[in-house]
Amino acid sequence: MLLISNLITIKLQKDLEDKFLIDFEKNQNIAHKICRIYTTNREEHNDLFQEITIQVWKNYSKFRGDSKFSTWMYRVALNTAISLYRKSTRQPKTQDFNDVVYKIQTIDYDDTEEIQLKALYKAIHQLNDIDKALIFLYLEDKPYKEISETLGISNVNARVKMNRAKEKLKNILNP
Amino acid sequence: MDSLDNYKKAWDNQPEEKHKFSALEIYKLAHSKSASIVKWIFIIGILEFVILNSLSFFVDTKSSDILFKEMGLESTILYSTAAAYVILFYFLVLFYLNYKRISTTDSSTELMKKIINTRKTVRNYVLFNFSYLAFVVLVVTGAYININFNDLDTKKIIIMLLTVFALTLIILGVLWLFYQLLYGILLRKLKNNYKELAKLENLE
Repeated sequence: MLLISNLITIKLQKDLEDKFLIDFEKNQNIAHKICRIYTTNREEHNDLFQEITIQVWKNYSKFRGDSKFSTWMYRVALNTAISLYRKSTRQPKTQDFNDVVYKIQTIDYDDTEEIQLKALYKAIHQLNDIDKALIFLYLEDKPYKEISETLGISNVNARVKMNRAKEKLKNILNP
Repeated sequence: MDSLDNYKKAWDNQPEEKHKFSALEIYKLAHSKSASIVKWIFIIGILEFVILNSLSFFVDTKSSDILFKEMGLESTILYSTAAAYVILFYFLVLFYLNYKRISTTDSSTELMKKIINTRKTVRNYVLFNFSYLAFVVLVVTGAYININFNDLDTKKIIIMLLTVFALTLIILGVLWLFYQLLYGILLRKLKNNYKELAKLENLE
C-alpha cells in the first residue's frame, strides 16, 4: 500500500513538474524582460533568471489556476527581482551595458524603434526598483487592479505612483 | 498623444529574447540552490542563535559559579538561566514561523514586511540577550559593593560603577555598529523599497 501511494506521489510530482516546465518555458520572456530591467550584464541577467526560476518552481504547487499563469508569474518574478535578489559583489563592467541592451538586430525590426527601445531600457535603468516595476507593468498593459494587487498598494496610490514614475521616465528620455 | 506612446510601441514590438532556455535547462535551474536574501537571513539568523548560546562553553564558568555562591546569587542565576532557555525557545519558534510565512506569491509590500519581521526577530533576541547581560553585570556589581561595603570608600565605589558603566556602553556600541553593518549589507535595498511603497500608503 505504501509503495502504491509513493508511486502515486511520484507520478503527481512528475505531472506537476511537466506542467511547470511547459508553462515556464512558454512564458520565459516575462522573466527575461524583468532581468533586462533589473540587471545590467549577462552574468547578472542569468543569476536573476535562475532565482526567478527557483522561486516560480518552489511556489508552483500554490498556483491554483484561478488566474492566468502569466499573471501569477509577473508577481513572483517581480517580487524576486525587487526583494529577494541581491547583486553579487562582482563589479559589473560598464561596457557590458551594450551587450545587454541588446544586440536586438532582426531584419524585420525597425531601426528607429531599435534606437527607441535602447533609449527606453537605458532610461528605465536609472529609475529606482519600485518605479521600474510600475513602468514595467504599464508597458506590459497591466490594468491598475492587477498593479495594485501585485505591489500591495491601493488602487488610488498605484495611479498616483504611476503618474510620478511616468513623469520621471519622460524627464530622463527628454531632458 | 502621450510622449511615452512611441516608446511603448517600440517596447511592444521588441523581439523575443535570443538566449532562450530549453525545458531541460529550466529544469536544472529550478532545482539549483537559491541564493536569495531570505536564505541568507535564515542562515545568519541560525548562526546568531548558535553563537550566542555557545558563548558559555568558551567562558570558564567554574570560577564565576563560586563567585556567585559567595555573593548568595546562586538561585537568582539558576532561575534566570532556566528563563533564558524558555525565552530562547520562544524566539526560535517565532523566527521559524516568520521565516515559513515568507512567500513570493504575496504582494510586494506584504513580502517585504515579512522579510523585515523575520530579521527583526533575531535582532530582538540579540538585544534581549545583551540587556540581560547588562542586567547581570549590574546585579553582580551591586552585590559586590553590598558585601564589601565597609572596605570600600566612596571614591572606589564611584570608580567601579563608572568602569562597569563604560564597559557595558562600549560593548553595546560595538554590537550596534556590527548590526548597522549587517543590516546595511543585507537589508538596505529591501528597506528602501519598502519605505518607497509604505510612504505612499501613509499619504491616504
